[in-house]
Amino acid sequence: MATRIGVDIGGTFTDLIYYNETTGETVEGKVPTVPHAPEEGVIHAVQAHVPQHVIADAAYFLHGTTVGLNALLERRGAEVGLLATQGFRDVLEIRRGDRAEMYNLFWQQPPALVPRRRRLEVPGRVLGDGSVHAPVDEAATRDAIRALMAFKVDAIAVALINAWANPDHELLVERLIREEGFEGGISLSHRISGEYREYERTSTTVIDAFVRGRMSNYLRRLETRLRDLGFTGTALITRSGSGSMSFAEAEDRPFETIMSGPVGGAHGASEFARSLGIKALITADVGGTSFDTALILGGEPQVLYEGSIDGMPVQTTWVDVRSIGAGGGSLAHVDRGGLMRVGPQSAGAVPGPACYGKGGTQPALTDAAAYLGMLGPGQLASGITLDIAASTSALATVAKALGQDVETVATGVMRIAAAAMGGAMREVTVEQGLDPRGMTLLPFGGAGPLMACLLADDLGMTRIVMPPFAGNFSAWGLLGADRVQSSARTLVTDLDAQGLTRAQALLDTLLAELTDRGARPDKASPSARLDLRYKGQEHALSVDLPLDGTRIATDVDTILTTFAREYDKTFGGTLDEQVETVAVRATYTEALAKRQVRVPEPSPAPAEPASIDAHSFALGKRLPFAIIPRATIAGPTDGPCIVTETTSTLYVDAGWTIRPGTQGELILDRKEL
Amino acid sequence: MDTILHKAGQSRTAPSDPVDPITTEVVRHALNSAANQMKRALVRTAFSPVIYEVLDFAVALYDRDVRLLAQAPSLPMFMGTLNFCVIEAVKGIGGVENLNEGDIIIYNWPYGTGSHPQDLAVVMPAFHEGELVGYAAIKGHWLDIAGKDPYCTDTVDVFQEGTIYPGVKIVEAGKMVDPIYRIILANSRVPKMIAGDLNAEIVGVRTGVRALLEVVARHGLADFTRAVEEMFDHGERVVRNYFAAIPDGTYTGSGVMDDNGVEPGQIPFDITVIVDGDAVRLDYSDAPPQQAGPINTPVPSTISTSRVAISMLAGMGEAPNEGHFRAIEVVTRPGTMFHPLPPAPCFLYGWPAVQAIEAVYQALSHAAPEIVPAMSGGCICSLVHWGTREKTGEPWADGAPHPVGQGAWKGHDGGTMLHISESATRFSPVEVWESRNPWLVECMELVPDSCGPGEWRGGMGVDFAFRMLEDTYVTTSVERTENGPWGLEGGVGGRANAVRIERADGSVESKPKATRIPMPKGDMLRLRTGGGGGYGAPSARAPEAVLADLEDGYITHDYARTHHPQVPLPDDES
Repeated sequence: MATRIGVDIGGTFTDLIYYNETTGETVEGKVPTVPHAPEEGVIHAVQAHVPQHVIADAAYFLHGTTVGLNALLERRGAEVGLLATQGFRDVLEIRRGDRAEMYNLFWQQPPALVPRRRRLEVPGRVLGDGSVHAPVDEAATRDAIRALMAFKVDAIAVALINAWANPDHELLVERLIREEGFEGGISLSHRISGEYREYERTSTTVIDAFVRGRMSNYLRRLETRLRDLGFTGTALITRSGSGSMSFAEAEDRPFETIMSGPVGGAHGASEFARSLGIKALITADVGGTSFDTALILGGEPQVLYEGSIDGMPVQTTWVDVRSIGAGGGSLAHVDRGGLMRVGPQSAGAVPGPACYGKGGTQPALTDAAAYLGMLGPGQLASGITLDIAASTSALATVAKALGQDVETVATGVMRIAAAAMGGAMREVTVEQGLDPRGMTLLPFGGAGPLMACLLADDLGMTRIVMPPFAGNFSAWGLLGADRVQSSARTLVTDLDAQGLTRAQALLDTLLAELTDRGARPDKASPSARLDLRYKGQEHALSVDLPLDGTRIATDVDTILTTFAREYDKTFGGTLDEQVETVAVRATYTEALAKRQVRVPEPSPAPAEPASIDAHSFALGKRLPFAIIPRATIAGPTDGPCIVTETTSTLYVDAGWTIRPGTQGELILDRKEL
Repeated sequence: MDTILHKAGQSRTAPSDPVDPITTEVVRHALNSAANQMKRALVRTAFSPVIYEVLDFAVALYDRDVRLLAQAPSLPMFMGTLNFCVIEAVKGIGGVENLNEGDIIIYNWPYGTGSHPQDLAVVMPAFHEGELVGYAAIKGHWLDIAGKDPYCTDTVDVFQEGTIYPGVKIVEAGKMVDPIYRIILANSRVPKMIAGDLNAEIVGVRTGVRALLEVVARHGLADFTRAVEEMFDHGERVVRNYFAAIPDGTYTGSGVMDDNGVEPGQIPFDITVIVDGDAVRLDYSDAPPQQAGPINTPVPSTISTSRVAISMLAGMGEAPNEGHFRAIEVVTRPGTMFHPLPPAPCFLYGWPAVQAIEAVYQALSHAAPEIVPAMSGGCICSLVHWGTREKTGEPWADGAPHPVGQGAWKGHDGGTMLHISESATRFSPVEVWESRNPWLVECMELVPDSCGPGEWRGGMGVDFAFRMLEDTYVTTSVERTENGPWGLEGGVGGRANAVRIERADGSVESKPKATRIPMPKGDMLRLRTGGGGGYGAPSARAPEAVLADLEDGYITHDYARTHHPQVPLPDDES
């Protein structure tokens, strides 16, 4: 019982990896994603790559998916009805009054996830101190519930004003909904978030209701199929805020998994940065459909306490990963102004790039790379042999429209894609005031190693580290996702002995709730954070609260000293003001065993080294690139060359040198040209 | 008096010596990031909701010639005035030769800042190896600086409006100047909040200076300077290319104030926009004479308004820098509402300015209607409240703008958000309001039929109702209550703004522009914000859009029958 299986679903490929804790053996595989039934792709991958006895023996199945995210982005979720406090049915549409693009006179607010006709009112009112100003009018509420049922809504979200301070009205409304015979999902705002700000909490609650049915059905189907294959272990899914949760918890709190997909890569990168001691690292995850990038500092991803999708706020912890629609499948086309664009439309899994020979006729980024020789002779992991002639004729259509030759168009596709990806990488570094040039680039995903040299050059970076299993690295990252449950609640009180006693009481409540949600205190370790501020301020700093078991193992003076130090570090100075608490955050973490990558001995180099005429972006012309199987690299090797392995191809431009590292990685350094 | 021509942007100060475009891009991003760090520091350390929630401030970095390097998303109208604040603040202390490392100046003379005295500028110079290389500046709204009332609509000279700080060092070579600090606190009804916000602004400018110096050090002063010139040239090209495509001509737009705050009677004004090749001139010289009440807009804000109106339209949706302003010229006449002379009162300087933005768009609609939206509710709909808490005896104050319906434009219905002059600003969540202030907010909802009809309809207006749970004073400052917004190309106007006060005895008063209204416990304040104007003839609106609006309750049957008779309604069949 010591094997973990990780499966990560991307827009184009479903990646699998499994790891045996006892032997250190790691096996990877890749199959096309099945967009209309993603769980089928998962099952295909398991069946194709994991032997029966390994499935039966596996302790964990760890999963990352964009099912919830895609449902939101494509607005393919439940028909949701919203019950709001009387006078506040439009909170979702009025928002906070701002524009996401402040210099854009024509900016439009995204349509609310619940249209106005399905947003109805509950008479009754709770105040900010938790007291009841007016009781719920049960008859009027039942009328509203019946009206929503007449709309045949799939799910009902309930978000009442000040429910964070007193949940009684929401609980009553839930009871009335069930008494009226509604059988669909119900999302109550106080269970989603214990923090104030009605727009943000309502938005999160509605998102939860919107994706709940789809996620729950998906997870149930997948779990049933896994059990049918003989899996008896625990199935986990990654959380937006890092770590993982059981399928059962995810069905109950689907909003926590919205950003599950890109988190696996950030996890893997963090684990890798820690084991290699890399201080500052930028990830470049290039899949078939999208590009994801994250900043990893000191071995930790950047975690935010609020995220947003498509302009909709989500009040939950959130790993800061930026995504754009650019990947190996991104299609090149000529726009109405006569300029060539790359993406965001993607060839996806079907038909795929022209060179896959599955009927694609429009040129994708992969076609440009294949034409330029950047993919070597073209045997892909998924058993596809690249059809370079198909790429050439696809590119020729665009070349004709532009009046350019195919070579120029192909290099243009690569440059435009690299510039777009470089822009996203600047967002997580330069725009945070951090200089990427001293950082390490960690490329992964099927096309990450292909783009690595172009991206590094775009940002002036001189060090690239290609991790082992680069093509399936997100799935590899999943395998290290500790099991995590967390919860937070607003508590505004002076930080003194009495305040700390209240914080302890709230912490006990939160930890008990986490246990009810499935945390296992016998196996998991608790941790806590306290959000603090100077009295009178609004924004808070979160500081770690040392625990002894579940008891706060520190005193007021020590917390004040820690807070003052953090405040001074962040804002350059402290104030002579009373400090107050704002929120208590509790977490249970059940750690998975640490991993060791087994590095195989290098194989002997082939007697007759192959080479291919490929385009060098550094020199602006074609020249011979050696083709080197990754397993044969034993010492420093100069570019230009193409390094091939099972799930990805590394393009090493002239001017770069590669050498193997200690943990199965390849290290690339830029020489002065 | 003769008119005066102002150039809205400064020219090159270094010769053309291009640096590579990647360095320019890196410097541009690094400067924006430095401004964002300043904003973050300010927001996260401020004490009053007008700063941390409403973002009633602007932060920016300038070069040594006081040209705008970068700004963080904040209040556009303040942004366009900050360079004047820097120049005048430095003059106040006797010029650049009196600037030392670690100094911080405060300045709020309205004729230099463009604003009312409550909007204080905090300015800090940046020295690189002993040489002045630029400034970090913040202009933020202070809740109270001992004017006749915390917020006024009826002042008759500028000295009633608040204490004046004519450019004095609050920090000298890194050390707080205690006498000035004590004078500041002594001149406020809410000294604790003022102390907290002043501290936050000091933290903010220090953060900005540190970040600016890092950028200069990273690239070296020479490359930095060349990159900055390139960045400005690019901004200038963006705006000039936009106007090169607009037909040349002289176009007029107009606004109208409900009254001047102290005398009855509407005050209409005209603005002329002259498009000439790739340049644009905004002429305010026909404005009415400066007013006895506080609706006078000092020149820095008149120029800022012009910068905001034009860069929103022509700036490709990107943050403007000095270069974007170079194609803009502004003409004013001293002694008029858009170029008042001291000591004319100017507490409501922003209200004519806010309307001027849309008057400029109305003018440009005569050149090409499809390039601009119809009019919005046309006001920031400001309410300011204060009092003394019953239990603790602590003074409190809060204030906010409120969202209005936005004008429709070709192909699109208008939305509901804050006025474009406050495009990055947010209003507070009701739950935050209720946790800080003695209020029960009884509603915040969209209002059926408030939208201006059109082929594309305007955005919805909003109704707010605030029940006072303790004795409170309120100042209301809401314009365009007598003239609703205009539509474009056959589109019709939306509902006008309104403010009603419902007394405990059942009587109702209309008070859109009034100072220190006593609101005893139990009284209710209702704010009804305007709906946006429509675009195109209502008879051309798609039937399915009318029916959807009906089903969502954005419009009623009466509205649909009146404005869209072409559409058969479900109930008409029965």
